[in-house]
Amino acid sequence: MRMSITAMAGAAVLALANIQPAAAADCGRVTIADMNWASAEFAAYIDKIILETGYGCEVELVPGDTMPTSTSMMEKSEPDIAPELWINAARTALDRAVAEGRLIYAAEILKDGGVEGWWIPEYLAAEHPEIKTVEDALKRKDLFKNPEDPDRGAFYGCPAGWNCQLTTANLFRAYKGEEMGFELIDPGSAAGLDGSISKAYERKQPWIGYYWAPTWILGKYPMVKLDFAVPHDKEHWNSCTALAECDNPKMNSWPKSEVYTVVTPRFAKSSPEGMAYLKKRGWSNKVANEVLAYMSDNQYTGEDGARYFLEKYPELWKNWVSADVAAKVKKAL
Amino acid sequence: MADSNWLIEFPALSRDTLRLLQRSIDETFREFSRSYGQALEDFFEPLLWFMIWFERLLLNAPWWLVIAVIASCAYLASRNWKMTIGVIAAFLAIGIFGMWEDTMRTVSIITVCTLLAIVIGIPIGVMMARYDRAQATITPVLDVMQTMPSFVYLIPVVMLLGIGRVPGVIAVIIYAIPPVIRLTNLGIRLVDKDVLEAANAFGADFKQRLFGVQIPLAMPNIMAGVNQTIMMSLAMVVIASMIGVKGLGQPVLKAITNQYFSMGLFNGLAIVAIAIVFDRVSQAYGHRIQKHRQVGH
Repeated sequence: MRMSITAMAGAAVLALANIQPAAAADCGRVTIADMNWASAEFAAYIDKIILETGYGCEVELVPGDTMPTSTSMMEKSEPDIAPELWINAARTALDRAVAEGRLIYAAEILKDGGVEGWWIPEYLAAEHPEIKTVEDALKRKDLFKNPEDPDRGAFYGCPAGWNCQLTTANLFRAYKGEEMGFELIDPGSAAGLDGSISKAYERKQPWIGYYWAPTWILGKYPMVKLDFAVPHDKEHWNSCTALAECDNPKMNSWPKSEVYTVVTPRFAKSSPEGMAYLKKRGWSNKVANEVLAYMSDNQYTGEDGARYFLEKYPELWKNWVSADVAAKVKKAL
Repeated sequence: MADSNWLIEFPALSRDTLRLLQRSIDETFREFSRSYGQALEDFFEPLLWFMIWFERLLLNAPWWLVIAVIASCAYLASRNWKMTIGVIAAFLAIGIFGMWEDTMRTVSIITVCTLLAIVIGIPIGVMMARYDRAQATITPVLDVMQTMPSFVYLIPVVMLLGIGRVPGVIAVIIYAIPPVIRLTNLGIRLVDKDVLEAANAFGADFKQRLFGVQIPLAMPNIMAGVNQTIMMSLAMVVIASMIGVKGLGQPVLKAITNQYFSMGLFNGLAIVAIAIVFDRVSQAYGHRIQKHRQVGH
């Protein structure tokens, strides 16, 4: 059949016009929580790049933090995706929301889980090989001197308002930090805590406190995790250690934190393909640390980190998507 | 970047050059922190001890004594019974709502900041009024201090001095000192030339002119500057608590991260109450020292 050139061109334009918005309409507008820490940031950008280039979504990143974002997702279904949500922070509420169908757990984004604990710098551990456990360290208030009160030691706790503040404070009581002559210092913010670590590290001073992995801090300033000397006691943890009202905290240790991607049902419904991808996506702490160290060394943003990851680990992310989506993402890099 | 599209796209430095630049700045700072950090810490040690002493004084003194002292300060400054009673009521309310300790910590740090700002700021203002060149160089510095987002300089300060009171005070003063400097400068410059001429005619030397004529006549402006400095340092309380300064800022931060609305509201209102007390009292003092001028004319 003969067709005039104009008709063909017209058909082509129509076809194009049809395909483009159709692909976008498949997925539509998606909001992803861009949490204010680096590992979640590059995760958000990886999702943004893959969902945009591979699935034609229209992605908007919105700033977030564990509690505000999870609350807003439960109550308002907004944002659609929290790529890296530390479940322990709000487990009961989240589990209830999942049971009621207001939220969906997707992949476990950190395969090794998040590691929380009390750490000392590597150089200090090498200098003092006798410090292995929390109790060993708490015996040395003379070593971890508090600049504002030389008679006592300084223990850098978790910033005010974070959930780890409760657990750290309760464990600090359980291990008799106060009686051993330590003051639990509230660093006020992640920036304050990081600053105290980098200050100690630059001058090779002693430091003891709370931190977590994966983080660029632990990539850049290697630290040794102190042994709590007891296994994780889940029952006591949930009934006391993790609560604000814990009258008699016992020695305990952090569980491996489960870190999942959490998605609203709205997104799962509007983009089943995107959801399938989110159900597979995840990496080990080793990979995460490497990307974080790369970002921090070069002062790159989460977006640069995401591009670095996508270029460096194609064998990893190509397993999460179909071949044609992988080709689209690859082309867009 | 040498392409022809430099007219359309800004010919920015390449990413690598920029990164190199940033990294070398960071490295320099790190070097500086390694070599001078300890010395700086030692330099600020007396200030730290003074602050700890003052805070303990406020915390350990019986609450009624603290209120009595604050109320008599308020009365002496304002000579106004209504205001004094308002001050007492404000602090009683703070105590009843269980924020006494945090409030004392905040009052102590604000007092130290204000005193330091006055001690450093007024001489700088006087110098700016005396030398035009000083004014030309210092004014842009003040602009930077007032507009630079606080976290930009908080992090270097933390890397130098750790977290706690001293970096907190430095951060607060950087933000809060400009008004007292600016208004001291302005106040002295606004002093009537005829009055100065008269002082010269009586053979007043520089010192007599400054302390006998210029500063007293500039006092209303200087007081307005001090007042603004107090307000701005109170506004920095929450920011300062992000680097580990204890006080009302910490519960506010906690409330923000946890969405504890009422906790944030109570502590926020306590900050407002302190602000109003400081503001009214310092303004009343400013007005009172102006009064004799109106009568004298």
